[in-house]
Amino acid sequence: MSKKIVQIPLGSQHISLLEPVKFKFSCENEKIIDVDSDVGFVHRGIERACTTKFKYDKIAYVVARVCGLCAITHSLTYTMSAESLLEGEVSMKAKYLRVLMVELDRIHSHMLCLSHVSENAGYEALFMQIMGDREPIMNLQEKISGNRVQFDYIDIGGVNRDISLSVEDDIKVSLKELRGKIEDLINEFENNYTLSLRFKGIGALSLKEAQEFNALGPIARAAGLVTDVRSESNDLPYSEIGFKIVTSSGGDIYARNMVRLHEILNSITMCENIVSGIPEGEIKTKFKGKPNGEALFRLEAPRGELMYYVKGSSKPMLDRLRIKTPTFASIPAFVEIFKGQEYANAPAILASFDPCMSCTAK
Amino acid sequence: MKINKIEVTLQNVVEKITKFYDPTTTHFLTLNGVAIDETKTEIQWIFADYMKLNDNTVFYVVVDQEDVVPSIVEVIPSAIMSQREVVDMFGIEVQNSAKGLYLDEDSLQKPLSGGCTL
Amino acid sequence: MSSQFIKAFTNLFKKPQTTTYPQDAIERTENYRGLIEYTENECIYCLKCEKACPPGAILFVPCEDPVPNDKNKKSLKYEYNPWLCIYCTECIRACPKAELALTQSDKKPQIGVKGDRVNSEWTILEQLKKGV
Repeated sequence: MSKKIVQIPLGSQHISLLEPVKFKFSCENEKIIDVDSDVGFVHRGIERACTTKFKYDKIAYVVARVCGLCAITHSLTYTMSAESLLEGEVSMKAKYLRVLMVELDRIHSHMLCLSHVSENAGYEALFMQIMGDREPIMNLQEKISGNRVQFDYIDIGGVNRDISLSVEDDIKVSLKELRGKIEDLINEFENNYTLSLRFKGIGALSLKEAQEFNALGPIARAAGLVTDVRSESNDLPYSEIGFKIVTSSGGDIYARNMVRLHEILNSITMCENIVSGIPEGEIKTKFKGKPNGEALFRLEAPRGELMYYVKGSSKPMLDRLRIKTPTFASIPAFVEIFKGQEYANAPAILASFDPCMSCTAK
Repeated sequence: MKINKIEVTLQNVVEKITKFYDPTTTHFLTLNGVAIDETKTEIQWIFADYMKLNDNTVFYVVVDQEDVVPSIVEVIPSAIMSQREVVDMFGIEVQNSAKGLYLDEDSLQKPLSGGCTL
Repeated sequence: MSSQFIKAFTNLFKKPQTTTYPQDAIERTENYRGLIEYTENECIYCLKCEKACPPGAILFVPCEDPVPNDKNKKSLKYEYNPWLCIYCTECIRACPKAELALTQSDKKPQIGVKGDRVNSEWTILEQLKKGV
């Protein structure tokens, strides 16, 4: 076999990718020995727009446009960091409704990732099936917020729409159906050779590497690193609604799938608990003043830790808004995982990362 | 969330972060810049502990446009991305970090620095 | 594995998940976000909706022959761009006479064509507003 090194690009447009990211692989025969990444294809200058074009009370709507899948997490993280710089108190009911939307978002985002993983394993039928099962969750979000994708549901002071009794019933019915489907899927991902044997040991990240490269979210938890911002913050009532950290070991594609599937189950439990016990109260309260000082806020988005840094000086325009998205921080871990893998596995490994490029380039 | 701010200098930042950073208990979030006025920028290294309630540590230093910020990639490999971002967004030189992560040659340069006006 | 094979096979005979729009109408929920409707004679011209709108889809621009209204002291005209609107209803929450002057209907906007002030004509209105 020759020792010649061949450069193979993956992206920025590739049939297995939905989003513009470019990895340049240096391969020795089939094996990837070095990786170069380029992620800045869709930079839109949102951070600058937020400090020059929009007042602080409108930014929750602007940052929701950073990402289509985790729009609600972006607007919630911004809103909570801005609220900590203002005077006022969010009602318990609004907090519960916020968590409900974030967890529904996590369910459908994880299902999207799982469907792409199965598609990249050559399992088109399962891709279609999971996408179909995901549809009721999108419908629930539409029933709650009025929109399917860009919810514009969270604003400073609380949430924009109340939840009706009929929607609560719909949520209970849909989630009960979904739980059965997810349990079937767990069985499928564990026992079907296309998804289990094929993915065991592929794209593995050890616990030590996960710590060294600061892996986040499901990638870190699949490697056995116990980290979840939902238990590192007490601003949202996660401890009251039955949140449990899901971890696995091995750090390969199989482990990441398992973490995602079990997280969906945990999110379903949390949503059911929320719906059965939404407290009474106002959905929106008035906040006084203009943001003054610095605030830093972290929240667990479907792909990992999302961080917002807000600095204001009692003016309608903010001085600085910094968005740190999970995929952006995980790129060095991605590159590390690719090293030593077969080139043919690269699309499947990439799909299992669940990368979000519009978040990364913002 | 609480922020513990620790002031450092360009000379001792790498040493202080090396001493502070333990990959098993802490993770590096990002390198952040905040424009203070037209020439001065505050550079922040943000850390958070695993599984500790509301705990964030920020090392910060105020730099001029012509200062060179030392790189912490030797200690924390994942810092490479945010270092490149700061180079693009603030026009501040960071040791061993290339330009061009987000911005092309012909686009608006250092858009987040204090001196930038459209 | 065999159960999945059977499921994949029976899926062939199921109804599609997608809605055949426009042959079938899309189901509209009670929270459906439609166009913002404006009633001129109820408006008190406080301009709160204009200030609250995140994308700037509501403008009160000066005009020469305004509709007669005692409250309209500066001769302004309400302009609304449904293709810029994000239907967040911030304007309705800001409106002191909500449900009378500004309401959200369940209508969808028409497909924007050139004559509908989608882009360049709207920019002219924005400049007119800035010039005040």
